[in-house]
Amino acid sequence: MTKVLIIDADGRICVRVVGPTGAEHRRLANRVMEEALERANLSFGEISYVIATGYGRLNVPFADRQITELTCHARGVVSLFPTVRIAIDIGGQDAKGLQISDGKLVDFVMNDRCAAGTGRFLEVIADALGLRVEELGGISLKSTNKVKISSTCTVFAQQEVVSRISEGVPLEDIVAGLHDAIASRVVRMVRRLKIEPDVVFTGGVARNIGVVNALKENLGCEVSVPEDPLLSGALGAALLGKELTLKALAKGEPIQRRERHLEEVTFFK
Amino acid sequence: MTNEKKKRAINRLQTMYPLRALVDGMYEKAVEASKEGKPTAWCMVNWWGGDVILRAMDVACVYPEDYGAVCAAFGAASDYLARADSDGFPTHMCGYARNCLGYAAQMNDLGEIPPEAPMAGMPKPTLLLSSGYFCDTRYKWFQALGRYLDAPLWVLEMPHPGVKENRMEGAREHDVNFLVAELREFTSFVEGLLGKKMDWDRLEKLVDDIIEMNRVWHQVNELRKARPCPMHSRDFWSSMPASLYTAADPEETAELYRKMYDEVKYMVENKIGAIAEEKYRLAFAELPPWHSLGVFNQLAERGWNFVIESWAYHPPKPIDLSKVSDPLERIARLTYQYFSGYFEEAFKTGNWWGYFAYPYLEFVREYQCDGIVLHPLLTCRTATNHLMIVQNQLMKKLKVPSLVIEGDIVDLKLFDPADALMKAETFEETMNHYRRVRKEEGFKW
Amino acid sequence: MVTGKVNRKEILLVSEEVSKGLTRAKEIYQNRTRRVKELKQEGKKVIGYLCIYPVVEMLTALDLVPYRILGDMSEPITKADACLPAVVCPFLRSCLDLGLKNKYDFLDGAVMAHACEVAEKMAHIWRIYLGPPCLHFIDTPHTAHEAAQRQHKELLKDFKKTLESFTGKELSTERLQEAIKAHNQQRALVRELYELRKPDPPLISGTETLQVMVALMSLPVGEGNELLRQVISEVKQRKDGLLKKPARLLVWGSIIDDIALMEMIEGLEANVVMDDTCVGSRAYFPEVELTKDPLDGLAYRYLVELKCPRTFRQAALDETNKKGYMADLESRFGYLKDYAKEWNVNGVILQALRYCDIHGYEVPGLKDYLDNIGMPNIYLEHDYSEAALAPLRTRVQAFLEVIG
Repeated sequence: MTKVLIIDADGRICVRVVGPTGAEHRRLANRVMEEALERANLSFGEISYVIATGYGRLNVPFADRQITELTCHARGVVSLFPTVRIAIDIGGQDAKGLQISDGKLVDFVMNDRCAAGTGRFLEVIADALGLRVEELGGISLKSTNKVKISSTCTVFAQQEVVSRISEGVPLEDIVAGLHDAIASRVVRMVRRLKIEPDVVFTGGVARNIGVVNALKENLGCEVSVPEDPLLSGALGAALLGKELTLKALAKGEPIQRRERHLEEVTFFK
Repeated sequence: MTNEKKKRAINRLQTMYPLRALVDGMYEKAVEASKEGKPTAWCMVNWWGGDVILRAMDVACVYPEDYGAVCAAFGAASDYLARADSDGFPTHMCGYARNCLGYAAQMNDLGEIPPEAPMAGMPKPTLLLSSGYFCDTRYKWFQALGRYLDAPLWVLEMPHPGVKENRMEGAREHDVNFLVAELREFTSFVEGLLGKKMDWDRLEKLVDDIIEMNRVWHQVNELRKARPCPMHSRDFWSSMPASLYTAADPEETAELYRKMYDEVKYMVENKIGAIAEEKYRLAFAELPPWHSLGVFNQLAERGWNFVIESWAYHPPKPIDLSKVSDPLERIARLTYQYFSGYFEEAFKTGNWWGYFAYPYLEFVREYQCDGIVLHPLLTCRTATNHLMIVQNQLMKKLKVPSLVIEGDIVDLKLFDPADALMKAETFEETMNHYRRVRKEEGFKW
Repeated sequence: MVTGKVNRKEILLVSEEVSKGLTRAKEIYQNRTRRVKELKQEGKKVIGYLCIYPVVEMLTALDLVPYRILGDMSEPITKADACLPAVVCPFLRSCLDLGLKNKYDFLDGAVMAHACEVAEKMAHIWRIYLGPPCLHFIDTPHTAHEAAQRQHKELLKDFKKTLESFTGKELSTERLQEAIKAHNQQRALVRELYELRKPDPPLISGTETLQVMVALMSLPVGEGNELLRQVISEVKQRKDGLLKKPARLLVWGSIIDDIALMEMIEGLEANVVMDDTCVGSRAYFPEVELTKDPLDGLAYRYLVELKCPRTFRQAALDETNKKGYMADLESRFGYLKDYAKEWNVNGVILQALRYCDIHGYEVPGLKDYLDNIGMPNIYLEHDYSEAALAPLRTRVQAFLEVIG
């Protein structure tokens, strides 16, 4: 997913746009930006600072700076939950654990190699079950006897699920088992950090109530989820940009910006 | 395990049971000793030198590498593995090591043996003894335990020569001197730690008992060359730990091996095989799937008799130590013989990987195997590295085919018995084919 | 100036002479075998060695050219899979793969040591599958025990016999002492070069330093010393220095023989000012003491002084435990604290190859140590492939943002 967030000097959100990324993310960045500007009724020149973050951050030619999603997520989560110590983000392709102290990122763990602890895991298996990812949460709430999925690999878990279905195991128990599988895997990774409350859960997968509950169970503590779990990275990036801008203005220094135009990435001009 | 049907597939030796029980009891013994305030040790298998010294000093030993297999078999490993993972130990490392590190971490947190620990658990040790053969994990893992355990560590060195280098003048001598010097240092270390002197007479007796135990055990295995083979690999694996984890008095263990010898001899004389109909004679390398040994029963029903296996677990080729007076030197030479006993033959035939790999050439030839099952393990590279060379050499030199079945030492999901049985059928055709090839080329079997 | 009929070879020689210092180091890095192949044409014998445990002085003493066997990160591993399982050190698999692809056919022999268990197996595999005219395996002990030191000397005597038999020459004390002096000279020059990484910004980058190290491992010691003198002189006079960056990093861990990782790190807001790896300070910092019997000094330096975690070290017998844990860590890793101080390091990157047990087991303890002395650190695991660098880049950048 590509997300654009425009905020004002007081940190209020003016507009938010979310669009599927696909293979063409290099081109998409400016298109999503254009849509955001249109909705906010702003011109590109009126934007004081642009920060790009995430995988595609190197492919946003009109960004003034690129900062990793780890730092940006931490900043975003802190603004929503000032007492956060551990932030867990499960996106479509990766999962992150962030250790935050005094509002600053101090340590992190990341899985961007293996599909099994990411949103991809749920997508693949939902597909195999003929369900939409959005349905999974609700279905799992009906479970009374969740299944234990033993496979650690997405491909094998898929096979395991299919055999359980054919054995007549109720769908809700299987789905609850899947949620537990992804939660336990992520928690295992996050335990490399020092787990202390408050714990916040963000990312696309945080919209799934089943996973939220499974995460609570695996962690053994309460977990908060922001209203808009997809945006903590973009929010953090925007806030960092605001801070850089205001700091420069306060010192009377020029805002360090690149010569930028809102256009597509091209190889040959 | 007590399933009647399973018992019929393989004739289990009666004399195997008491040998197996000896090792099972070692955890309880160590925990008891610890409760009584007696010294205990966590040891890596050290091929007797370290063990005799500890035994002579009344130290109760447990072997975390065995405990890894125990936890895996009981389904208790995953918690310990998860803990090792969160403590930052990379997941590709030895499953036994990670299991032990996780266990030690939990024991450290709780201040006592974790309540769900299988068997009796492993008590907090007085010392750690690691050893130098085969894998780096042996000493790096124990070094890492310093994070959780209040026990000093001794790394017992063992020379690991190459076949060619070992033939050089004076090479074997300096290696043995090294082993002996290390054992002496270790003795001083234990004396200092426990505040008592070594009883050298007692040590000498233990050394002689271990030498004798290994000699008898070797003879038992020689009997397996018979057709049909009277003793299946399953019985080897069940009886072998008593010789490596010296959990019991070696004299007692030797006596049990003697009884086993009598039982096996009887079977040889009466042409009784370990399985009903020996259609195929198989070898196995290297570490067995401890948690899924039932698959061998199913293979036995197909006529697969596993007649030889796991070089690393086998006793050394016999060696005459009568002229060696110093007991530490005697045991050192036995250890060295274990490692390098095949080197002379390997050298003659230009087989440069003289331990682990070359022995299978001899095994397969002398036990007349039709095939070998190779079991690569995801987290034990040490027991996996040589398998490809074994596969290549056995085909090239002896026209014996290999069947590869993957697994892991603690991640039990990686071994698929159903898959193994499916492959077995095809492999039988391969073995039949190569029997014909060997016949044409003049091999004895 | 060349007049008259021009000989093409002469022109090539003239233009080669021009290349010196960092440029030459880079050229050698990119084409490692060129010089040794020229030397072979002149009748010299080249002996390959794996890792830093083989005693190269003994090769130099007999006029053999030591050549470090390295891998190639950009070459996909294909042939090695027939000999070694894939779940094994990717660097060593790469070395084997290159050997099986005949890239090391020019070697007249090889010497390998028991650096780690896979390196030990490599010696057997290399002998079985590649069968060079001469191969010797040194079973380097695992500890620094006194008995181990004596054993190590005996093993070096065996190595000496092999070399004498191979060359038909005597490895005399005099020859060996000369060789030790030449290699010690190289070590002193490397230290001098490393001094130039102390200023802020450093005068030479981590990437450039690595290229020089690889070049040294591809040349006879005398030529390597000459190259070092050129590089040092050139770097000292540099006007177009490096950029000053907030992060001054030390990179610790498994072998790095390719600049890709360094370039990636130095492409961010960091300068790599120090290393603790074996194509780097580990190989060069300890010197050999000139003992009456040179083998004593060599046996000691190579077993006890080399700082690779493959050697088991302990402060004192009763300190390898929880009570003495910090003391044990101090004895194992204290030298890193000194490096950090001298080179003004403000962050440490712990990197290890996947499947490397030697470094993998060290990581939690080393992290404990660095956390204890307040040195920010991050652990990266990689698998010796260029493709794996992108996710590492995110982690390194995030680390820099954290410490920034």
